[in-house]
Amino acid sequence: MTTYIIRRLLILPIIVLGVTILIFAMLSLLTPYERASLYVQDIPKRQGAIDDIIKKYGLDDPIPAQYWHWMVGRRDSDTGEIRGGVLRGDLGFSQIMASSVMKVIRRRLPATVELALWAAVPMIGIGITLGVLSAVHHNKLIDQILRVFSIVGWSIPVFVFGLIVLMVFYARLGWFPPGRLSDWASQVVQSDTFTQYTYLNTIDALLNMRFDVFVDACKHLILPVVTLAYLNWAQMLRVTRSSMLDTLRQDYMTTARAKGLTEWLVIWRHGLVNALIPVITIGGLILIGLFNGVVITETIFNYPGMGSFLAQAALSLDVVSVLGITFFSSVILVLGNLVVDVLYGFADPRIRLQG
Amino acid sequence: MKTMTVINKLLTNPTSLTGILLLLAFAVVAVAAPWIAPPDERARDPYMIPRDGFSTTPEAPNGEHPLGTTEGQYDIYYGVIWGTRTAFRVGVVITLFTTVIGLTVGSIAAYYGGWLDELLMRITEIFQAFPFLLAAITLSSVLQTIYGRGEAGVLMFLAKALALVTFGSNPFDSVDPIQLQILTGILAIIVFGWMTYARVIRGNILVVREHEYALAAQVIGARDMRILIRHLLPNAIFPVLVIASMNMGAYVLAFAALSFLGLGAQRGYADWGQMINFARNWIPSLADHWHIVAYPGVAIVLFVLAWNLVGDVLRDTLDPRMRGRGNGF
Repeated sequence: MTTYIIRRLLILPIIVLGVTILIFAMLSLLTPYERASLYVQDIPKRQGAIDDIIKKYGLDDPIPAQYWHWMVGRRDSDTGEIRGGVLRGDLGFSQIMASSVMKVIRRRLPATVELALWAAVPMIGIGITLGVLSAVHHNKLIDQILRVFSIVGWSIPVFVFGLIVLMVFYARLGWFPPGRLSDWASQVVQSDTFTQYTYLNTIDALLNMRFDVFVDACKHLILPVVTLAYLNWAQMLRVTRSSMLDTLRQDYMTTARAKGLTEWLVIWRHGLVNALIPVITIGGLILIGLFNGVVITETIFNYPGMGSFLAQAALSLDVVSVLGITFFSSVILVLGNLVVDVLYGFADPRIRLQG
Repeated sequence: MKTMTVINKLLTNPTSLTGILLLLAFAVVAVAAPWIAPPDERARDPYMIPRDGFSTTPEAPNGEHPLGTTEGQYDIYYGVIWGTRTAFRVGVVITLFTTVIGLTVGSIAAYYGGWLDELLMRITEIFQAFPFLLAAITLSSVLQTIYGRGEAGVLMFLAKALALVTFGSNPFDSVDPIQLQILTGILAIIVFGWMTYARVIRGNILVVREHEYALAAQVIGARDMRILIRHLLPNAIFPVLVIASMNMGAYVLAFAALSFLGLGAQRGYADWGQMINFARNWIPSLADHWHIVAYPGVAIVLFVLAWNLVGDVLRDTLDPRMRGRGNGF
């Protein structure tokens, strides 16, 4: 088990390094002028300012030197202090937001996290439950219906589903508005009487005992959450179903029944636990699905998170922001996969006992 | 498994049969496009949707525009019909290149093993570290910035090669800017879409390599390349075909997403995702202009569904063990 974890941990920095190289490779496809905005802290005011920046930050230097400085920062020739550097958390300057990329990410990350967390719950819950249902009633009507449902569900693009949902529940019925909070609720959240513990509006609202804000946050969350969750529950259903089908056929299931356990116990205690092992492996896939899904979902619902930031930046060709967000997301994804791998190592006794 | 058995299975299973019939219907529409939706005689490019005036208010379906128009008076019917061609084109080109790249990387890694295998697999893992859509969006915007500049060196060569394959355009002419934007989307998806094939083919070759006929061929003295191509690949390739057929739908979806975000096809081009992009400005009154979303939307859903139906049955037929995989790159 420990050898397994150690192997995964050792490979991690190599992968992250590879990610930085790939990102930098894409970055270096731009001209020095376009890259100058990486090192700009404010909107340049003079005509020759960009040339000065290029000379100062060595944007004409050979590529390996540039990569090094991009990663660890550069000593400012005027003040002598070290500035910039990805490893120090500086991802450059965003043109469309007129602020450093890291600052914008910090501002918008909580929104996306809140959305993803709320979406993950129904996604996993419904997906697994329906998957079990489908497997247990293999080839009967309910299984056929669910299979068709999941294939059709997987074929509908996120933006079509999102737009339809928006059309029905907002344009027609007016029940659930786009955005993250109504104006009055935003004012409450920003005010001094409201403490932002987690920056997740729903949780903060509960902690501050403001149920009206909680309800407002939920009303804004429902549509994006449904859209985002819908993306992946079909996937969970299929994997759970096939893995349950394999498990249900195993000998230990017959033994459990022979021992006299109720069918209920047999399925949930012995079957599902073992069937969940492959399901954990798609935890990584779910994470990817969430990352991919938020971009479109947030754009459609005007939800101010990382996804909509990426979409805006890409549209305006603000490449620095785009690269920064992708880099950030990839690192999180790699870490997430590591967690999934470790969990998998614990769950699968073959790995746990052998290492 | 014999090819005839597979084809037989595909045609008799109601699920895959539905898929195949749907695909046939789309193919017919795509081929018949110039007749059922004739382009303007003066139009430079038949893939740019003709506009009936310039009014910004979309029109509901009426006699002259059977499916209505979008903002800017782009005819939706025309867009949906010609969009079928774009969908096939994009899907086939992306599948072709991703499969070739994936197969090459995977086979080499599996056959030669050792440090080459490690290196290639690490590289594959690095590419997989990027969430697919984010990576495609990133590369798309980078490429558009570069191509927008005019001179692009090696990348322009890539673009011309792609243009040749996708549109059949003359590689000695400069690339049509309208097509260039589509190519950036396609290229972005290709670069981040090959990894699953590499892993799968590598896994299968590793298994198949130990089989007796491969060892027998080696004993006789057959060269490496020959063994690889004539003995190992044909047997290891089935899962790749399965994944390719399932991924077709996903690639079209990905490209539609790029277009929806404004990165793939240009405004006014006959692409389903691009047409739905028009709906973004009309969200408050979407109930009145639902046709902008509905018609291209139904087209995308049916197209992707068709590929998924075929791919699902193909997977169950060829390799029941694979039931958990696929649908990810």
